[in-house]
Amino acid sequence: MSGTILETKGLTKAFGGLVAVDNVDLAIEPGRITAIIGPNGAGKTSLFNLIAGVYRPTSGDIIFNGRSLKYAPWYAKAIPPKLKQQKLLKVRLERHAPAHKRTALGIARTFQHVNLFGNMSVLENIMTGQHPRSKYGFFAAALRLPKARREEEMINLNAMKYLNMVGLGKHSGKNALSLPLGQQKLLSIARAMATEPKLILLDEPGAGLNALEKRELSDLIKRIREMGITVILVEHDMPLVMGIAEWIIVLDSGRKIAEGTAAQVQKDKKVIAAYLGEETEDA
Amino acid sequence: MMPGWVKSKWRYFVVAALMIFLVLLPFKWFLGQYTSIMIFIGISTMITVGLCLLMGYTGQVSLGQAAYYGLGAYFSAVLSKTYGWNPWLAMVIAAIATGSFAYIIGYPIFRLRGNYLAMATLGIGLIMWVLFNQLSQYTGGPDGMSGIPYLSIGGFAFDTNFKRYFLVWFFCLAILFLSQNIVRSRTGRALRAIHGNEAAAQSLGINVTQFKVKIFVLSSVYASLAGSLFAHHLRHVSPQSFDFLASVKLVVMAVIGGLASVWGAIFGAGTTRLLSDKLLLGFNQFPQLDIIIYGLILMLVMIFTPEGLFIALKSGIKWLQLNWRHLPEIMRTQGKELPHRIKDRLTRLVPARWWRKAEP
Repeated sequence: MSGTILETKGLTKAFGGLVAVDNVDLAIEPGRITAIIGPNGAGKTSLFNLIAGVYRPTSGDIIFNGRSLKYAPWYAKAIPPKLKQQKLLKVRLERHAPAHKRTALGIARTFQHVNLFGNMSVLENIMTGQHPRSKYGFFAAALRLPKARREEEMINLNAMKYLNMVGLGKHSGKNALSLPLGQQKLLSIARAMATEPKLILLDEPGAGLNALEKRELSDLIKRIREMGITVILVEHDMPLVMGIAEWIIVLDSGRKIAEGTAAQVQKDKKVIAAYLGEETEDA
Repeated sequence: MMPGWVKSKWRYFVVAALMIFLVLLPFKWFLGQYTSIMIFIGISTMITVGLCLLMGYTGQVSLGQAAYYGLGAYFSAVLSKTYGWNPWLAMVIAAIATGSFAYIIGYPIFRLRGNYLAMATLGIGLIMWVLFNQLSQYTGGPDGMSGIPYLSIGGFAFDTNFKRYFLVWFFCLAILFLSQNIVRSRTGRALRAIHGNEAAAQSLGINVTQFKVKIFVLSSVYASLAGSLFAHHLRHVSPQSFDFLASVKLVVMAVIGGLASVWGAIFGAGTTRLLSDKLLLGFNQFPQLDIIIYGLILMLVMIFTPEGLFIALKSGIKWLQLNWRHLPEIMRTQGKELPHRIKDRLTRLVPARWWRKAEP
């Protein structure tokens, strides 16, 4: 399937007996703003963590840009097929790409709690975001090789670009945590954007913002989409979601119960039941 | 005010002044009597820089840094004395071996965080110390080994303190410059990001474990080079130079220097060494007085200037630079508060119920 940027197939994550994400199939189309909503504890953040590579799925597969994020480790070939079948071997024969590799592939994310680096300035926070788009390492850094200087110049330019995108250019030298929460949220989005992703996951970007800041935020999200970047967001603020999301996926206790446009989802009986509570199932 | 170009280049002036001072220092007509202690300060600075990178920038504690210092020293000593290798080659092999050792233990050890990591590194320090003592057919046991050759280039042997002073400080400054460059780069930002927030660092594509291991290896290589220089300087190594207290002293140096400051390492190593070697020399009847004082310093620095003494001094100077014109005014308006502020800080040292009357 080339029509989707992100697909999950039977994605499941269980923490002991608790199934946080239960057999979820998603197909996210590129260049759209998709919102994932659901009551508290529906598994939205767990799903995010699975996609971003923080958690390893219990079962199921994630396909990003037509490529599975599962791969066989280097030693898998060395093990004879007979041994593999016998399941006596206690080694994992499949691995899931770790979070930092997914960022390099083009999945960026922000956090519910902004998680900015308090030991750095605003600009440095964004420069750190350019990490996967630059290469030079310890050696080049220590000797200030021309390669390092050139890349550093690029990093600086790009960082300023993303900083201006969220309108924080004049605060570049300040400590990141000295900004008010609204600007911190914008900064954390700019930092994720600096990784130059194809897909950006926003975890409750609107939480804790006032009405004005929320309007700024939805403008920013729309601008991100206009740059050709797919946006998936988890959000509790329904007016915000309904205002910008072109596709909405509803989760409840780990399962996908509905998806569609805002109008379709609002009418869905299961969704209404999930939000307003329902009679017991056998009643 | 200073002209702009002086202001923007003041770093270079400070560094140039420091260079001239360091070059002139070992001459008899200047501060020649301090040559020997300055060699030790240089050696300690090398290790402290590594610790600053590891603890201050990356936020990973190591309480066993003396292990790598010792490994470097013993590798150099054994290879060059017992096996008669060229001391330079021995030094390189020592650094590679110590670095490889750090690399191998790095991956399992950095699965741990915080206090657990501190305990594990402490364990490595203790294990190494026992090995230095017990592998006596190689290391000479608790008495150590003597007669290690000097380093030499062609026919030029580094056989006096004066010559070795330049050798050690050449290495030390090279390490300082390289580290300073690392800190102000993509790599340095990645390290600070790991210190700031590991989850966020990972979400930005930083391979957290790999960076931790790399910086650990780098700091152990610094320590190993320092150890080799130490062995070829004193021509005698023994385990008590690399015991737990040595590791603690190194941590104190890093803390005084300001954990997140590469140049502060000189300051930290300098004050600590001078304190134990010069000021406390008179107290022979109380041989470990310096340890007590280090403990006190560690506590006081953590309470009053957790960012490190050197950084606090630096920001103090910066504040004066900005405000010296208004100093009388500030003293007039805020002078009255000053004793209260000091009292406030001091009262934090004791539990509140000791100085506040209990609620009835």
